[in-house]
Amino acid sequence: MAVEYQPRMVGFLCNWCSYAGADMAGTSRMTYPPNIRIIRVPCSGRVDPLLVMKSFEQGADGVLVSGCHPGDCHYTEGNYHARRRFALLRSLLDFLGIEKERLRVEWVSASEGGRFKELVSSFTEELQRLGPRSEVSP
Amino acid sequence: MTRFISKKDLITWLEKLIQERILIAPTTKNGLLLFQPVSEVEDIVLDFQNTELSPKECFFSATETLFAVKREDGRTELVPATVDRDTVLFGLHPCDAMGMAINDKPFLAEPADTLYGQHRARTTLIGLPCSKPTTECFCTSMGGGPHDPTHLDVLLTEAEDGYIVQAVTGKGEEILPSSVVEREIVSPPPPSVEPVPAAGISEVMERVFEAPYWSRLADRCIHCNICAYVCPTCYCFDVRDYANGGRIERVRSWESCQSPGFTRIAGGYDPRSSKGARLRQRFYHKLRYFPQEFGALGCVGCGRCIRACPVNIDIREVISDVQKLGAKIGT
Amino acid sequence: MRQELGQQIGEKARELLSSGVVECVIGYERATDGVTARPLFVYGVEDVDRLIFDDTCIHNLTRYLLNRRDKNTAVVAKPCDSRAINLLLNEKQIEREKVFIIGVACQGVVETRWNQAGETLQARCQLCSQHTPVVYDFLVGEAPPEQPPPEAYADVLEMEARSAAEREAFWQEQFDRCIRCYACRQVCPGCYCSECFVEQLDPLWVGIRIAPAENQIWNTIRAFHLVGRCIGCNECERVCPLNIPLSLLNRKLEKEVWELFGFQAGMSAEAVPPFATFEKEEKLGIGE
Repeated sequence: MAVEYQPRMVGFLCNWCSYAGADMAGTSRMTYPPNIRIIRVPCSGRVDPLLVMKSFEQGADGVLVSGCHPGDCHYTEGNYHARRRFALLRSLLDFLGIEKERLRVEWVSASEGGRFKELVSSFTEELQRLGPRSEVSP
Repeated sequence: MTRFISKKDLITWLEKLIQERILIAPTTKNGLLLFQPVSEVEDIVLDFQNTELSPKECFFSATETLFAVKREDGRTELVPATVDRDTVLFGLHPCDAMGMAINDKPFLAEPADTLYGQHRARTTLIGLPCSKPTTECFCTSMGGGPHDPTHLDVLLTEAEDGYIVQAVTGKGEEILPSSVVEREIVSPPPPSVEPVPAAGISEVMERVFEAPYWSRLADRCIHCNICAYVCPTCYCFDVRDYANGGRIERVRSWESCQSPGFTRIAGGYDPRSSKGARLRQRFYHKLRYFPQEFGALGCVGCGRCIRACPVNIDIREVISDVQKLGAKIGT
Repeated sequence: MRQELGQQIGEKARELLSSGVVECVIGYERATDGVTARPLFVYGVEDVDRLIFDDTCIHNLTRYLLNRRDKNTAVVAKPCDSRAINLLLNEKQIEREKVFIIGVACQGVVETRWNQAGETLQARCQLCSQHTPVVYDFLVGEAPPEQPPPEAYADVLEMEARSAAEREAFWQEQFDRCIRCYACRQVCPGCYCSECFVEQLDPLWVGIRIAPAENQIWNTIRAFHLVGRCIGCNECERVCPLNIPLSLLNRKLEKEVWELFGFQAGMSAEAVPPFATFEKEEKLGIGE
């Protein structure tokens, strides 16, 4: 059997909701693809577009930014700012030929372990469908 | 008698060189004339004024690895970068060849830069004289000339239906094809180049260091690195270590004295923090410090910085302003 | 007419300098090629006669105000340049009372290169509908009659219509030749960070290599840092020594910002920029 292409993903998860949601998926013994490397950040609003670009530069096939649902931000409005910022970054990446599907921004609460599992699974499948990113020679 | 090669034989020769070596020549890409490796003779542009970037890149690359670190069985070894192919740099003008000779001074002075030395040793320079100097050219004032063969290996001067061949060095002699013949032919006179008042500039610079002129000039300067990067004789660089996926290497990249952090030292102090001081450094390095240390002006008069500057900082104007200023200040 | 503009600017400069209202007037003079223009800083009345204005005066001089934050300065501003003044006022980089704006009603400027001035107006001028500065203290020149602006984003739409692979190949080729001279940054009125991310050592965001991967990060983030801030003076593209089509990126983002938030940078000094605010209920195609 041919080995399926395994995409590499970086996930920036907010400390208050999404990281706890991922934890919930783990403690509930849910299984999801091991392709994601999680980096805990204080808030989705903290995720600088540079972190996303740097991830792509270092070989990530996809980047997930995840935070609290709108209205639930621990810092009241960080995720609203993140929403505007990443809407624009996705358009820019798409314009540069990096498919916008490679940057996903989703809201996952601390209790949504199942949703996190679904998210990582569907993102992995999506990236498998897109295939590896074309190499930018160093 | 003069040595001569017909246009047809030149093409055959270049085709042969492409097979045997890397041939770098002026070609047009995206509307820019640049020295680049070519695979087809017809891509070579023969009749041109000046390329956008100088050919210094062939010896002092915008970015190159100096050495890699190899780790094996607990041993650490430094593997220096080597140049393993011969290159022919074709079509450069005498000013660019002189630029290389100027860069040789700092790079090849002991302790010599071995990578630069290898690039130099394995590259043969086949030049074309400059038949149409631009309005911003001033090579004759910097000790060069549009037909000056001095720093080349071979000079090919267009005449009749071919080129007059002048082998300047042994290296140039070796590379010549057998299709070079003897012929009675007169080489055309060099075109005239507008002079700048450069006589004694180095000494005058000494007297005008404190003049407010420099900060006024810097008013206009936007402090980008264009002038340094298009210049055939600017040779500043930065060095940094890279580690990626188990591979460790030391990399050198172009840098410029116009960059804000160029002279910043540990602790954050920057002895050249003002914009006036940075711009002044550019001209002092070329017209004062370099001649002091190496005995030649650090400028070849190719005019690239003049053409490329977004705000018209014009070295010819600076030279003549400095002369006027020096005369005013006195000795 | 053109000579007149230069004279009017010169007269105003003389008045401002001799009365001590400003210490310096930033305008244009003829460059050493005798064809194009270059910025001129006038500190004394003896130099006001050097001031000119014509369709080769392409530079956005407002960038220089950032070097003279604490000094009273007059600046010659075309309509596009004047938007940069609003941007800088909005971002609290300059003080309105320290700047005297000599606005020029603009008929458009031409494409210039060293020793060459084009015959036709710059592409962006052909698409421009702002012929009077958005902010000024004194106005010279006469605006042409208003005309409905043509489709301003034809090239952006054309690029959007290509496949992702084509777009990627296109931009890779453009960015590959970047030499990271940072002229685009240095000339931009919106790029004034005291330390640019690209030169930061800790954290080291971008290495020193002048190579495709680094070039891509630099060019992407440069454009992104100007979202909702780029005022369209096109100086970045003009100064690029390797002709990278930076305005295509800038205008793509300008278009997005207009479509999503109805915002145009620099039209007013008070309007809240899109990244400084949000709507709780907005739909932006994220997390929905």
